[in-house]
Amino acid sequence: MDWAEKYRPRHLSELVGNRESLRQMSEWARQWTTETPPLIIYGKPGIGKTSSAWALANDMNWEVVELNASDQRTKGVIEKIAGGSASTGSLSGAFRKLIILDEADNLQGNADRGGARAIAEVIRQAKQPLILIANDLYGLDGTIRNLCTKIQFKALPAKSLVPRLREICSMEGITCALPALNDIAEQASGDIRSAVTMLYASAIGKDKVGEDDVSISSKDSRSTIFDLVAATLGYRQVTSLQDLNMTVDETPDTVLQWIEGNLGVLPDTKKNAAAYQALSRADMYLGYTYKTQYYTLWRYANILMLYGVHDVMKGRPSGYAKIMPPTRWRQMSTAKRQKLMREHLLSQLGISMHMSSASVRNIYLCPVSLLARQFPQSFVKDYSFDADQLNILIHDPDLAKSIVKSIDEEKKSLEKELKKKKKEEEALAKKNRTLKKTEPDIKVQLSSCNETDSALVMIDDNEKESETNVNKDKKSSQSTLFNF
Amino acid sequence: MDETHAIWIEKYRPHHLSDIIGQPEIIERLTSYVAKHEMPHLLFTGNAGTGKTTAAVALAREFFGDDWQMNFRELNASDERGIDVVRNQIKQFARTSPFGGSTFKILFLDEADALTSDAQSALRRTMETYAQTCRFILSCNYSAKIIDPIQSRCAIYRFRPLGKQAVAEMVHRIEKDQNLTVSEEVINAIFYIAQGDMRKAINALQGAAILGREISPDMIYAITATARPEEIDDLIELCLAGNFPGAGGTLASLLHDRGIAPQELIGQLYRAIMKRDLPENIKVRLIDSLGETDFRLSEGAGSDIQMQSLIAKFVMYGGKNTR
Repeated sequence: MDWAEKYRPRHLSELVGNRESLRQMSEWARQWTTETPPLIIYGKPGIGKTSSAWALANDMNWEVVELNASDQRTKGVIEKIAGGSASTGSLSGAFRKLIILDEADNLQGNADRGGARAIAEVIRQAKQPLILIANDLYGLDGTIRNLCTKIQFKALPAKSLVPRLREICSMEGITCALPALNDIAEQASGDIRSAVTMLYASAIGKDKVGEDDVSISSKDSRSTIFDLVAATLGYRQVTSLQDLNMTVDETPDTVLQWIEGNLGVLPDTKKNAAAYQALSRADMYLGYTYKTQYYTLWRYANILMLYGVHDVMKGRPSGYAKIMPPTRWRQMSTAKRQKLMREHLLSQLGISMHMSSASVRNIYLCPVSLLARQFPQSFVKDYSFDADQLNILIHDPDLAKSIVKSIDEEKKSLEKELKKKKKEEEALAKKNRTLKKTEPDIKVQLSSCNETDSALVMIDDNEKESETNVNKDKKSSQSTLFNF
Repeated sequence: MDETHAIWIEKYRPHHLSDIIGQPEIIERLTSYVAKHEMPHLLFTGNAGTGKTTAAVALAREFFGDDWQMNFRELNASDERGIDVVRNQIKQFARTSPFGGSTFKILFLDEADALTSDAQSALRRTMETYAQTCRFILSCNYSAKIIDPIQSRCAIYRFRPLGKQAVAEMVHRIEKDQNLTVSEEVINAIFYIAQGDMRKAINALQGAAILGREISPDMIYAITATARPEEIDDLIELCLAGNFPGAGGTLASLLHDRGIAPQELIGQLYRAIMKRDLPENIKVRLIDSLGETDFRLSEGAGSDIQMQSLIAKFVMYGGKNTR
C-alpha cells in the first residue's frame, strides 16, 4: 500500500509540525456547539490539512462526511449532502458527524454565485461541525470566509521531516542513510506527503537506501538552480550553460526570476541596460509561448536569459557570491493576495450597485472610498467586510482593524442577548406547556381513546406555535441587525 | 505479408521492461516495483519519444501478466480533458476492484498536462481515496503544467532525451530483424533528425526502408524533409561572410526545391548556431532574430518574406563579426 496512505496520521498527536494550529483545532472541536462557526484550514499542499481533519474526527469519535473536488459539487448536491447531514444528527445520536469540504477553493460554486451562496447557507444552518480545506484562503468566496474561523497550516521545515521519515524507515525495516533522508526532506520543500512518496518510490524492493537512490524521483527540485544562476552571472565557469539548464529542470519563468533577482546593480550603466535588455527579450519569448501555446519558443527565452546575461557579465572575476531566491516572489505572493482581495471587494460592491466590477473600479471607486472613510461602520455591516478589505478602501490598517473589531463585538453581544432572550422565551413556553398539559390530562381520564389522540394533537400544536414565535423573534431581531 | 504494413513504432515497442532502451535508472526502479508487486503513483515527465508510454505499458504487462488489459486502462487526456472525465470515467475505473487476484490496477493518464486545472484538482483526492484499488501513472511533457498537489502525490520520474547509443541500439535491433544495411553515417543522420526522440528515429528508418534495403543518409534526410547538416552550415557560412545574394539563393532552394518546412529549417539553424564556435554576443543576437522569426511564423506571417528577412539580419550581424 502507498506509504503516504499507510502512514497517514490517525490521531492529531501523530501529525508533524503546526502544533499551534492543531491545538486550535482540537480546542474548536472540544468546545463545539451548534453556534460555533466552522473552520477553514488553509495552506500549501501536503502539509497535513486533510489528515488533521480526519485525525480530529477520529480523536473525537465523530463520523466523517467528505466532499471533495472529485465529487460533483453544484448547489443542489452540496445542499443535499452537506445540508442533509448538517442538520440531521446521526442515527445513534451518540456522536457527531464532521463534514469536510475538501479543496474548497475549487468549489465549482465559486464561479457561479449560487454555489457560494448555497454553501454559505449550509454553513449557517449547520447543526454539525464543518471544516473547509483550501490551499488559498482568498480563493474562497468572501461570504463563506467571513463565516468561519481561519487556521493556517505552514510548510514544514526540512529538519522536522527527517525524524518522521526515519520512523517510517524503521517500521518498514529499511536502513536509510541520513544524507539520503536529508536530501529527500530538502527536496520536498516542506511537503511531507511528497517526502513520504519519494522515500517510498526509492525504497520499494530495497532494504537499504543510499543517497544515489534518491536523485531520480523528486518533486521539482531546486538543488542546482543555484549553480545555474552562479554560472550565468559569471561567478563560476561551466562548459555549457545549456546543458546545466537541462539538468536543473526548472521552467524558464522560474530561472528568469532567479537570474533577475540575483543580478544586482551593475556599476556600468551600459552593461546594466544590456543585461536587462536580454532579460526583457527572454520575458517576451515567455509571453509569446503562453500566448501561442507554442512551447518551442521556450528555447529562445532560455538562450537570451542565459547567454545574453552571461555575455554582459563576461570579465567578472570568478568568486563566491550568495545566490538567493528572488525577493520578488515574496512581494508577488502578497501582491497576488492583494489582487484577489481587491477583486472580491469590487465584485461585492458591483453586485449591490448593479454594475460590473470594472466600472466600479474605473469610475466609482473614488467616491465609494470617500464614503467608506466617512461611514466605515455601515460599510462593514452592509458588505460584511473584514479588516483587510476595509483597509483597501480607507487605507488605514489600524482604524480598519479597530472598526471591524468593535462591530464584531457588538454583533457578539447582540447575539448573546438574542440567545438570552430565546432561552427566556423557551422557559416561558415550557411553563405554558406544563400548564396546558395538566388540563388535558384530566380530560384523558374522563374521555375515550379517540379523544386522547386529539388531545395529543393539541399539545403538538401548542408546541409548534411557541416555536414559531421564537423563530419570528429571532428573524426580526436579525433583520434589524442587518438593516442597521 | 501484413508484417510489412505494421507501423514499426508499434511493432518494435518493447513489451518487457528489460527490453526498453535508455533510462536505465528508471527501468531499474520500475523493475523492483514489479518484484515487490507494489508501487506508488507515478508521474512520468519528459520529451516525446523518450519511453514514457512504453514504460507504463510494459510495467502493466509485467504486473498483471496475460490479463494485463483487464487491469490496465489508458486514457489520453488531450482527447478528454474536462472535469467530467475524472468524475465519471476515472472514478468508475478506480473504484471497481481489480481482476484476477491482483491487489490493484493501473490507470495510465497520457498527456496529463492537457487536463484542465479543474480536472486536475478533481484528481487529487481521487488518487488518495482509491489508492487501495488503483495506482495512477500520469505522463506529461512539462511537469510545470501539473498542479503542485498532484506532484506531491506522485513519485516523479524524468525521462531524458535518448543518447546516440540508445538510438543506435534500437536501429541495429530493427536492422537485424528487417534485414537492412545501416552504416555509421546513417546512424548519425538518424540521431541528428531524431534529437533524442525514438519515435522519430524509428519512423525515419521505416520511411527510408520503403525506398530500399540499403539505407543511406540522404534517404533519411529526404524522407524526413530535413536539410543535411552541411547544407545548414553552408547557409550560415554565407551569412557570416556577408553574402546576402548567395545566402538568399541557398535558402530559396532549401525551401522550395527541397520542400523543407520553414519551422523545421529554423530548428536546424538553431542547433547549428548553438553548436558553432561564435562570440557569445553574436550568438545571442542570431538566436534572438531566429526566435522572433519563429514567433512571427507561428502567428501566421508568410514564410518567404520572414525567412529572407531573417537571413538579412544574419548577414548584418555576421558582417559586424568579420569587421
